Amino acid sequence: MTAGSASRIVNTRLGARIEPSGPRVRATLELLGALVGRELKGRYKGSALGFLWAVLVPLFMAAIYVVFLRMLVGRALTPDRVVVGVFAWQFTAQSVQAGMASVTGNANLVKKVFFPRWLLPAASTLAQLINYLLSLLVQFAVLGVLAARGAAAGVSVDPLLLPAAVALLTMLNFGMALLLAAAHVHFRDTQHLVGVLLSAWFFVSPVMYDLDLLRPWLAGRPWLEAAVWLNPLTPLLTGLRAASLDGVAWLPPPWAAAGLAVAPATLALGAAVFRRAQRHFADLL
Amino acid sequence: MGEAGDIAIEARGVGKRYRVRGHAPPTLFGRLASAIRGRRPDEFWALREATFEVPAGRTFGVIGPNGSGKSSLLGLVAGTITPTCGRVTTRGRVCSLLELGAGFHPDLTGRENVFLNAALLGIPREDVRRRFDRIAEFAGLGPFIEEPVRHYSSGMYVRLAFAVAAESEPDVLLIDEVLAVGDVAFQLRCLDRIRELQRRNRTLLFVSHALQTVEEFCHEVLLVHRGSIVARGEPAPTILRYIREFMGEGGPVYTQEFGTREVEIADVTFRDADGREAAVFETGWPMHVDVRWRARGRIERPVFGFSVKTANGLYVFGSNTQIAGVEIRAIEGEGKIRLTLDPLTLMSGQYLLSLAIHSWDHARQFHRREDWYPFAVRNPTGALGAFFLNSRWTPPSQG
Repeated sequence: MTAGSASRIVNTRLGARIEPSGPRVRATLELLGALVGRELKGRYKGSALGFLWAVLVPLFMAAIYVVFLRMLVGRALTPDRVVVGVFAWQFTAQSVQAGMASVTGNANLVKKVFFPRWLLPAASTLAQLINYLLSLLVQFAVLGVLAARGAAAGVSVDPLLLPAAVALLTMLNFGMALLLAAAHVHFRDTQHLVGVLLSAWFFVSPVMYDLDLLRPWLAGRPWLEAAVWLNPLTPLLTGLRAASLDGVAWLPPPWAAAGLAVAPATLALGAAVFRRAQRHFADLL
Repeated sequence: MGEAGDIAIEARGVGKRYRVRGHAPPTLFGRLASAIRGRRPDEFWALREATFEVPAGRTFGVIGPNGSGKSSLLGLVAGTITPTCGRVTTRGRVCSLLELGAGFHPDLTGRENVFLNAALLGIPREDVRRRFDRIAEFAGLGPFIEEPVRHYSSGMYVRLAFAVAAESEPDVLLIDEVLAVGDVAFQLRCLDRIRELQRRNRTLLFVSHALQTVEEFCHEVLLVHRGSIVARGEPAPTILRYIREFMGEGGPVYTQEFGTREVEIADVTFRDADGREAAVFETGWPMHVDVRWRARGRIERPVFGFSVKTANGLYVFGSNTQIAGVEIRAIEGEGKIRLTLDPLTLMSGQYLLSLAIHSWDHARQFHRREDWYPFAVRNPTGALGAFFLNSRWTPPSQG
């Protein structure tokens, strides 16, 4: 994005910036909208089922986890909790993967056109969020069907907790997208590392189980409980379940607020790293 | 829009250093490995100590051999590349045609891509909506505008991208070698649009290997060589200097030289119709080549020959004094011979002249310089094609 007639681009050792540095909210929002539109249209134009895939993938995965986990741990696991967990996990995993590639995948653009680079991971995260919000409709439909058949607890949407949890989860995902997008430009092997870390994160987070399942292990090991709660996905996923399902209490221990604080902290770190790293993007792409 | 006297682009001591890291993309392991081995990456300066000003409303050309730093210069002005030192200030709305269609998404239609590209160039959405018909008309895509650009030819792609950029009303337009694509008719329309921007006092920075276009359009030319701005000035003398110093002997052109050197080509000067030294010539006017030779002894019946090739190697014409029926009895010491092409029937483009001196029976090559002398031709006649044919119409007779 370039400046209006009265402004100028000043390019120094610290990177290019537009002066005077007033907010260009409208132009920024228009570009963000265009980039999000490109992500979404580009993704769904190629396939006949379009948006359906975004919903079908977490649904299939939830079904697979439920079937196999029941074989392993028996009836202790309720499908409704797995559905909520897997849909939210898909949002995070996709945001991380797409966010990481958001700058490297637009190398042409970054090398040739001057515009705020953070819009690339932002557009990528926003497109994933829109996806997630649409898939939430399907999620609640599925939960409703499960409850009607007596296979799950009733659905109850908490009008405050649900948006708050989604907002914090988005903050976490955007922070990681910024961090990894910058890292991926500088170190192209980031993707392998991230692939491994994502699978580890999936298992240590209560995605396909919930905390009740961990109780026997956590009892008598307070340090382990602390570690579990410090993982930002633990309070967020538990919060999402509490906000969507009957009979799920959400009472994290007071000190688990640190786990929730990881989300804004990640965003702050990601923003700082991205801001510094973006100077050299064009050289490394 | 530039007021007279304003500076549109100002560069102060700008330098850009790159680390050489081979062809592999950067990796964490690679970085760690070289850190452990204590190896510092090689560095080179793509641009050094660049200081210049482009007044608003002027068109500047940037010329120089490949890899001399021209594109880095444009990237620094556009703000996409961060300088290692110094400062570049560009006033007003900048639009770069560094790579047309960089923001296109293959799955989106032409229409959707117009809006996307315009957003990247910072053009408000309403403006694009208002000007969409003009953009579509300029691109000349017809119903294809509703098709995904995946199905476009490269020419259609470029046309659409240029249409968006040209309609974006930039204060400063950066052009990097993009007009070499597309068909001739579209190129002419692009050049028309560039003239229109010039008339409306926009600032243009123009990187091109098409020296005849640079000479035609630019008010001033920067000559870049190995990362330094070595000359700045009027187009004609700067282009001449570029051709003489950096394109010929040992330059980027693949040249060959051989022969017994019993007589050698000592010095060659290109002159235009007025006898002035020149590097760019006009179609339809005379071009003179003065060849000074130096002979070691007496050479009986030498033959002077020449040939012309286009920059991409097409052999255009070759002849010599023997074919032309000019018999030279003998030469000795030093002297000069003049070759004249009148009228010059080459069209716009870059050409390479070869010169040779050999014996009457072709048995001995005294000195031959193959593709040694580059020159450019500019065609102001408006006629199109590869060569100028002397043609004439007989008006229709009535009844």
